[in-house]
Amino acid sequence: MAQLNKSLIRPLHPIFSEKAIFFSVLLLAGLGIIMVYSASSGISMRNFNNNFHYLQKQALFCLISLGVLVFTASFPYRFLRPLSYIIFLTSIGLLIAVLIPSINIEAGGAHRWISLGSITFQPAEFAKLALIIFLSYSLSKKQEMINNYSVGFLPHLIIYGIFFSLILIQPDFGSVIILGLITWGMMFIAGVPILHLLSPVPFLIPILYFAVYKVSYRMERIFAFIDPWKDPYDTGYQITHSLKAFGAGGLFGKGIGLSMEKLHYLPEPHTDFIFSIIGEELGLIGVLSVFLLYSIILIRGAKIARTSDNVFGSMVATGLTISLALQVIINTGVALGILPTKGLTLPFLSYGGTSLLINMAAMGILINIGASVKDD
Amino acid sequence: MTEKNNTKKRQNRIIFLELLIFVAIILLSARSVELQIFKSSALTQKAEKEYIKYSSIQGKRGQIYDRNMNELSKSINTFSVAAIANQIKNPGKTASRLAAILGINEYYLKKRLSSDKPFVWVQRRVTPNKIKKIKALNLEHIFFKEDTRRYYPNKALAGQILGFTGTDNKGLEGLEYKYNKMLSGQDIRIKTIKDATGKLVDSNGTFANKFSGNSIVLSIDKKIQYIAEHALENVVVKEKAKSGTAIVMVPSTGELLAIAHYPKFNPNYYKGFAPETWRNRAVTDQFEPGSVMKIFAVATALNKGFCSPKSIFYCENGAYQIGNYTINDSHPYGWLTLTQIVKYSSNIGATKISETISKKIFYNSLNDFGFARKTKIDCPGEAFGELRHYSNWSNIDSGAIAFGQGIAVSAIQLITGVSAIANDGILMKPLLVKQIISNTGETVKINGPAPARRVISSSTAKKVTMMMQEVVSKNGTGMNAFIKGYSVCGKTGTAQVANKNSKGYSEDKFTAVFTGFAPSKNPELAILVVVDEPKINHYGGVVAAPVFRNILVESLNYLGIPPDFNTSQMVADISAKGRQ
Repeated sequence: MAQLNKSLIRPLHPIFSEKAIFFSVLLLAGLGIIMVYSASSGISMRNFNNNFHYLQKQALFCLISLGVLVFTASFPYRFLRPLSYIIFLTSIGLLIAVLIPSINIEAGGAHRWISLGSITFQPAEFAKLALIIFLSYSLSKKQEMINNYSVGFLPHLIIYGIFFSLILIQPDFGSVIILGLITWGMMFIAGVPILHLLSPVPFLIPILYFAVYKVSYRMERIFAFIDPWKDPYDTGYQITHSLKAFGAGGLFGKGIGLSMEKLHYLPEPHTDFIFSIIGEELGLIGVLSVFLLYSIILIRGAKIARTSDNVFGSMVATGLTISLALQVIINTGVALGILPTKGLTLPFLSYGGTSLLINMAAMGILINIGASVKDD
Repeated sequence: MTEKNNTKKRQNRIIFLELLIFVAIILLSARSVELQIFKSSALTQKAEKEYIKYSSIQGKRGQIYDRNMNELSKSINTFSVAAIANQIKNPGKTASRLAAILGINEYYLKKRLSSDKPFVWVQRRVTPNKIKKIKALNLEHIFFKEDTRRYYPNKALAGQILGFTGTDNKGLEGLEYKYNKMLSGQDIRIKTIKDATGKLVDSNGTFANKFSGNSIVLSIDKKIQYIAEHALENVVVKEKAKSGTAIVMVPSTGELLAIAHYPKFNPNYYKGFAPETWRNRAVTDQFEPGSVMKIFAVATALNKGFCSPKSIFYCENGAYQIGNYTINDSHPYGWLTLTQIVKYSSNIGATKISETISKKIFYNSLNDFGFARKTKIDCPGEAFGELRHYSNWSNIDSGAIAFGQGIAVSAIQLITGVSAIANDGILMKPLLVKQIISNTGETVKINGPAPARRVISSSTAKKVTMMMQEVVSKNGTGMNAFIKGYSVCGKTGTAQVANKNSKGYSEDKFTAVFTGFAPSKNPELAILVVVDEPKINHYGGVVAAPVFRNILVESLNYLGIPPDFNTSQMVADISAKGRQ
């Protein structure tokens, strides 16, 4: 009876069965366009002699990304399973391509973008999606043997290792960490024993020691967030200005457009630190509203992961939820000064086409999985 | 079975994951509350310290006008050039380009620009032309600050009266100094908001008129000031004198129409002039006046009724012994009337007159005439003059003072005393600042004529006036001051300059003085001319009297004061007296 009712009121499009996710994404993306404009107009004027440069691009990205969301939401997620190898190999191909000097763009000593004419693309963003789909495929396939170290853990460690190496060369530590946490998180959910998951820790310690502790500037940079006021003009510069932005915003904020920190005080106000500008212009009210919107998506995402009886679907939903949660927690954690600085964007809000496109596509997939849960 | 177990395990682990995410978001929200509520004010302060800057500027300084509202001193808007030194990437290059336009020392500018200060002046108050050139360079971290500059449109005219202001528009000399508080604009605290590149985002301050200082209106007449300065310049140059002073006063009101000095001094470029030329020496410096003092001795004697204009005195044929001292006349005289003593300026006669009055009476009378006391003129650094108390006078002092030795006066004291004679015996306080007006044009204060006291009776004043008219008549020592058609009164003075380092008087340094007023019946102008150390001639009647005459005749013409006296009448008078 209940099933009959459900099928009778079956929505015209999967989006309508996951309105909470869809409208949260829509609100965040809309706020993103406004905040990108507000945060970037000064920089835009300085770099392009045009207030609207970033606004125009972000609005266009948003439109395209929404189209992609509608597409992935309509595309039955089950077909992703046979496509997972192709997606995996495409991603690896793109990550190799980004290392080729003639088609990449160098920025700040790193090679993170592929340039195709006027379009630039960040393969590391796509790698997140590819990793989630491929791991979901692999982990769901190996459910029976998940407790076996060489079946349930080792192959996935190697998959991550490939992404790890290719992205580390760029270098892009933020993405490496996010991908690692996604991998471990998905293995954990998939049922890989905790001991297996912790097995690389003894190897991790010397790596951390040489890569971080020995390189003193990296240490300083990483631990600057603990006491940013100690060196507010160098290692603590971004964090202290971010904190000032939040503090100056207070409960209600200064109002849209009235941020002072965005006027060349706080670097990257429209990308990595857009949350600080939201804090300054919209206050605590704005900050908590943003957390609320993300929470709605994450709670729905987790529910879809829990309720999907298809292991592949459940794993994809898990991966997408973890991925979104990590991006949100790390980015806002950095902005609020409780995590070390990492160049990560805030999904839907930060300026950037690839991030927006991939996150929208991810939400589309999540919606599709969610809609099929209700189908079943 | 395993699949079901796995599903259950997965679902539990997802709930665990959900909890983790939930806790993380709660923590982040709590952190937001901490920053945005509890630490908000402290962080806001820290943030504002970076982009809100307070600076203090001064409202426009008020103007100084002459009696006809001609601007003598005004403030004009200019721009000052400043730099955010700690952000300039190439101080050497910036300095060389700026120094080339501004004409300032490149080395010191480079040093200033190399400092790590956020704000340094490049140059204050730059001409609009140079500002335009600097703007065209489009230099980074160089900006312009609205400023005002003091400007004296008449250049050196009345320079010593006006004084000047320093770099911060603060009065340093003259009326600019004395009236600094009145003239100064209000201190305005302005809040400026700047972005991290130093670009102005917002500012609440402008040079609004309402912050301007008050303006002052002087009694000085620009035209008469010019006449006096011009005449003075001519004589100082011609007689190769050291310096000179001339004052024009209205006897009935005490208004000063001109206070002229030579050498000149242009307050626009005060640094280019020797500091001793900056002073208003008519007020700040004192000198021995010589024979002009005789009129005050005569006035005192007449006022007490000890003698009359016709009283006669024996002038000892040119040499008069008092104790160890001998008093000489330049021409020996026998018996002279009081009038003749004044006319021919006999020192022995003046000594004899002083002998008719007690030291106390003489001292008090001189003090009433304003000697050895301040006139309270509105100028800084007024000299007191020098006149010992009568109780310390020796036998000869009374006589010496009567012909102007052993007494030092300032030019302003002297003209004020002479004006008392011209003003029917009533001494007026010298009046220089007539009016203070606010920035909206409203009158803040009016300084009217202020009678200080009656010094001599009206009839004494008239008698002295008549005698002074004799001085300017034929054979009088002041006949060079005679103007056809006007009844001119005057008195010469030729004082030896007292030695600076030793007792006694210099043999070759003189002060040539002439003072007087006209017309005699209703004096409109009183004038004093002092020429210090003329080298060609040295008699007051030769050096100073013609200058007096020139200033007087031009001023009378300019003021449209009609002639009151015809020459034939004077000739008749003289011949009548000759018959006596």
